Amino acid sequence: MDSELIQQIQNQARDLLESGAVKGIIGYERASDGLTARPFFAYEPSAVERLIFDETCTHNLVKYLLDKKNEKMAIVVKPCDSRAINLLLNEEQIKRDMVFIIGVYCPGVVETAWNRKGQTQQARCQTCELLKPVVYDFLAGQEPVRRPEAELYSDILEMEAKPVAAKRAFWVEHFGHCIRCYACRQVCPGCYCPECFAEQLDPSWVGIRIAPKENELWQAIRTFHLVGRCIGCNECERVCPVDIPLSLLNRKLEKEVKELFAFEAGLSPEEQPPFATFKKEEKLGLEE
Amino acid sequence: MNLLMSRDDLIHWLELLMRERILLAPTRVQGLLLFQPVSKVEDIAFDFDNTTLPPKGWFLPPTETLFSVRRGDGHTELVPATVEREAVIFGVRPCDAKGIALMDNPFLEEPGDTVYGERRARTALIGLSCRQAMPECFCTSMGSAPDDPSHVDILLTEVEDGYIVRAVTEKGKALLPQGLAEGEAVLPAPPKPQAVPAEGMVSAMRDLFSEPYWELLADRCLHCNVCAYVCPTCYCFDMRDYPDKGNIERVRSWESCQSPGFTRLAGGYNPRATKGARLRQRFYHKLLYFPEQFQDIACVGCGRCVKACPVNIDIREVISDLQQLGAKSGS
Repeated sequence: MDSELIQQIQNQARDLLESGAVKGIIGYERASDGLTARPFFAYEPSAVERLIFDETCTHNLVKYLLDKKNEKMAIVVKPCDSRAINLLLNEEQIKRDMVFIIGVYCPGVVETAWNRKGQTQQARCQTCELLKPVVYDFLAGQEPVRRPEAELYSDILEMEAKPVAAKRAFWVEHFGHCIRCYACRQVCPGCYCPECFAEQLDPSWVGIRIAPKENELWQAIRTFHLVGRCIGCNECERVCPVDIPLSLLNRKLEKEVKELFAFEAGLSPEEQPPFATFKKEEKLGLEE
Repeated sequence: MNLLMSRDDLIHWLELLMRERILLAPTRVQGLLLFQPVSKVEDIAFDFDNTTLPPKGWFLPPTETLFSVRRGDGHTELVPATVEREAVIFGVRPCDAKGIALMDNPFLEEPGDTVYGERRARTALIGLSCRQAMPECFCTSMGSAPDDPSHVDILLTEVEDGYIVRAVTEKGKALLPQGLAEGEAVLPAPPKPQAVPAEGMVSAMRDLFSEPYWELLADRCLHCNVCAYVCPTCYCFDMRDYPDKGNIERVRSWESCQSPGFTRLAGGYNPRATKGARLRQRFYHKLLYFPEQFQDIACVGCGRCVKACPVNIDIREVISDLQQLGAKSGS
């Protein structure tokens, strides 16, 4: 643990609470295993001592801003998480002046589970070039020295090269395990519909059956709703209790959007995502 | 003297069982440990901590058709769900067996749930004592134990040369092979899981309904259904009728009190509209409503929710917090 970084976060949080500038702080504290981190809400200056930051702080806390739209909150964000703030600003889900952003320079996070801390950085961190949050009011830590180590999309390319039948078999097996717990949706900062299509009754887009066809439809629509919007925090994959490799779907579409529209979600609060715009000159090769 | 079964005997017996009935056993699938029907012994995981999902899904499947309505020339017929073959579940941990026993309360109490009752009657449980307690385990505080034979038909306890066999019920006795040897092997001391004192929990809960604690705890909760779906005692479900070419199927699927839509009424009113109210319901059902109705706390200490919760809402910590709050409000 970088005690200087934690001190910076705690001091900033204390100032904000003592001055009444914010109602609460959304950050991280030590989990019940004494080893990893969990989200933490501090409302009293005395509680800021519980705030931590280390390589187990994998959660994207931005989702919680959607529950706190009417209260000014401060939030601790890693560079990847900060892209979710831009996404929500762009989609007018949160107001910039209702959030105080405590950004942290990020040296990468490790795979964690309860009582288990991985030794190596998460795959997404190994290809991440974003060392500094894209939006912040206060920046904690020191710029880490780090270069991308792994090839971006190597697993996607591998998947693309497989025959259709093999891809199909792969996903049929994984979606067969899905229990429709909706943890992937609940944790996603981009999933905020007041009524999700999965629960809509009229029309009923997807039934309540927890069965291969319904699971597949649920996952397909969930993924497509995030095209050009997924910011790559990979929370959906982390929280899945049956280990469905959802990042393969999200990143496949991220790659497509990058190639077709030269767009990456959440890098700027102003730039509209491709599917929120329509330009007459966009032909997408359909005219031929 | 104890009844003994060598490892080879166990394999032969399981092979015999799977010829006559459906045999469900823990299997390793893509990093998960799931109870699945097996057709060869090599697919069975014998050495495991506990499964990713509890065996409750055999009795209350994630999805099932309760009955269908078929329409023909001028008549309508109600076709109940088909009853499966006899089944045996091998490798049930004592905590999970207790979970099934707890689910029996709501499902078998009159008027009983027919499909659940049929499956329960036609399934035998072969338990496997735990050789070690995992960090998330707390079964002994919830009225079970790593070697608790109470809720299985047969309990196997691994020893050096095989297994000590305890035939617990008549159903279990009938299932065992003839001529098992008796031996000197003694039952090993069970491992000691973490203690989570829960004395006085039920009465303490009566005074804690309006505590701000619930909304504060719910800050962190994502309101997914992970905790409920991995829980051996959570049994809530949703039902819907699906038409199919003039016929109708009544489908039942898992659902949980954490879903925003779970208590939404026709017209849109939701009596549990806030996150705190929904999270509180989870713990009130487990720690007050269920025990008031059926005596036992609806938790068996398997620790699955502790491990699986994406944001570390740890029931052991909640119990301890509530004990402290109860002591404060009671004094």
